[in-house]
Amino acid sequence: MRLSELKNKTLPEAAALLGADEKAVALERFMQIGLPNKKSEEYRYFQVEKLLDKAYRTLTYVPKPIEEAEKIVIVDGIVTHAPHGMRVYYEQCQAMDMTHFDPMYYLGHLLSPHVIKIDLDGDTDVEIEHHYTQSGALIAYRIVLINQANRHATLFESFHDEGVKDALVLYGYDTFVAPDSTLRILKNQKMEAEGYAMITSHRLQLEQRANAVIKSFDMGAGMGLQLIKADLDRYAHIDAGHLLYLNGEAQRGTVSKIIHKGEHSTSNQEAKNILDGTSRGIFDALIKVENSAKWTKAHQNSKAILLHERAYMAAKPQLEIYIDELEASHGSTTGQLDEKQLFYLRSRGISETEARKMLVIAFANTLIEQIKDSRQQEVIKTTFEEAFYAGEKDMA
Amino acid sequence: MSKVLEIKDIHAKIGEKEILKGLNLDLEPGKVHAIMGPNGAGKSTLSKTIVGHYDVEVTEGEILYKGKSILDMEPEERALEGIFLSFQHPVEIPGVNNAYFLRTALNAKRKHEGKEELNAAEFLREMKKYLEMLGMKADMISRSLNEGFSGGEKKRNEILQMLILEPDVIILDEIDSGLDIDALRAVSEGINLMKDGKRSFLVITHYSRILDYIKPDYIHVLKDGRIIKTAGPELVAQLEEHGYESIVEEA
Ligand SMILES: Nc1ncnc2c1ncn2[C@@H]1O[C@H](COP(=O)(O)OP(=O)(O)OP(=O)(O)O)[C@@H](O)[C@H]1O
Ligand SMILES: [Mg+2]
Repeated sequence: MRLSELKNKTLPEAAALLGADEKAVALERFMQIGLPNKKSEEYRYFQVEKLLDKAYRTLTYVPKPIEEAEKIVIVDGIVTHAPHGMRVYYEQCQAMDMTHFDPMYYLGHLLSPHVIKIDLDGDTDVEIEHHYTQSGALIAYRIVLINQANRHATLFESFHDEGVKDALVLYGYDTFVAPDSTLRILKNQKMEAEGYAMITSHRLQLEQRANAVIKSFDMGAGMGLQLIKADLDRYAHIDAGHLLYLNGEAQRGTVSKIIHKGEHSTSNQEAKNILDGTSRGIFDALIKVENSAKWTKAHQNSKAILLHERAYMAAKPQLEIYIDELEASHGSTTGQLDEKQLFYLRSRGISETEARKMLVIAFANTLIEQIKDSRQQEVIKTTFEEAFYAGEKDMA
Repeated sequence: MSKVLEIKDIHAKIGEKEILKGLNLDLEPGKVHAIMGPNGAGKSTLSKTIVGHYDVEVTEGEILYKGKSILDMEPEERALEGIFLSFQHPVEIPGVNNAYFLRTALNAKRKHEGKEELNAAEFLREMKKYLEMLGMKADMISRSLNEGFSGGEKKRNEILQMLILEPDVIILDEIDSGLDIDALRAVSEGINLMKDGKRSFLVITHYSRILDYIKPDYIHVLKDGRIIKTAGPELVAQLEEHGYESIVEEA
């Protein structure tokens, strides 16, 4: 199907196209917002229409018996493996966010016959591998993540495309971060130019004193946008970090809305962007402080380094504030690698490529080294280096 | 007499301004050449010209190193061939670990010479003796390169690089400025360790102090973009007493 066919359809027509119930609330919300186009605020820097106009094969999502493994493995939207004793199952989505800003959040839900529910019991550290094997397919799936109060869970996600071409992946989490708990979601994703494209639409609901850490490491080429909505209750805290290392004609990045609803909630969001080739990096991030959220602290920052004159960074940190009692800051900078530093390294016999790599890594490391687990840190560093050398090869 | 570096009638600009105006200078193997001269004369510009700094544009003249022109060589090639500059103002590089940097530089050189590269452990073992000699705290190599280093620490780190890389032509741009007495002694000791009768030194300085430690063979006076006088070490006393105004350009 072509998703652009949903344009200007009546509700019954859209329901028929999507095979959805006319009365589905998600459908109603989706029709209200409408399919994204280049005028949609959230998609203004991302050529979404190019993706929506393509014809994709649709898949059927038939659950399979889940085999035991160390990690959760999801292949084309179907869980194939999960760790022993971990509760991973399918259900109808019970708690959709009715105020999400992203139409693709609703479309993702409409296209997924069920959600994959993962219960993170106790203190857990789990890895999810997403695999895509279907070229030309529309792959849509949603995950619901639930953790437990007073517990600390970490989720480390990676993506494996096995040479897939021209697929479109719509996925994302509905996440409920329990009171007094910590949930960390780390994403390591390297994409290729002609591979799959991806629109990720997350929703995080942080309960009182909940603590969420969401760190994304997006590297390589291709088209990928992650849209994040996070609602913060009293004393909740979110720590968001986004690394982009892009080359080729990549269009990748983050569109986020962090909404402070409860008093004393805090947020910290940091983007580091390294852009090569003719790539475009996106950091379009709003922090909204509602009038119920006194004594909020919100800090947001974006730094970009352009390695090529034709690379472009769309950095839009924004604050929307409805109270006075708060502490907030935001800013963004864009520049080049420091010539003096580059020369210093070269004057010691280090090749220009290697020197550039050292400086770029130094910049990226400020984010990567915030990851506490040294093994996960290594994995991300390795991915980074692979993407970096692939980018250097393109330039030659 | 053989020469390791021959600077011939060099004219060089920074931006639109000509800084070096037909400068001639030859470095002899195994000798220590000191350059003295007023502020703004072009001393740092000369050192930058030799190592291929991007600020400097050479408009005329030639620089030969071991008989070959280096003006078309990249900075890293010049370094690998054995030219080293200790910067007047070493740059800070946050996020680049000093030990990693030093090892990368050493291994680049070793690779260039067809030698095997050193791993982290072998490298640290090699380093230890130098750190002690230079009075450098062990944490200085685990920190980011030059970040937050005091002036003296930065200069010691330059000397450390010189010791590790074992270059053939060593240019020291005001290695002595801002050093306390202990640091000056440690740095001089490092420099003297490198003297092997083959290496050449170009020591840019404003003070005779360091020349008491590293005995120069020649003193060159650089003024207004040219070397206007070359003499033996006895010239230092005259300069100290009468200043640069007293020097009359030699024909
Ligand atoms: N990047 C630059 N841009 C513009 N002018 C420069 C630059 N670097 C040096 N100059 C100018 O070139 C001239 C020579 O400077 P240089 O640093 O070589 O002097 P120096 O002899 O090393 O002086 P000092 O003893 O103060 O270190 C000075 O007039 C200086 O202002
Ligand atoms: Mg100078």
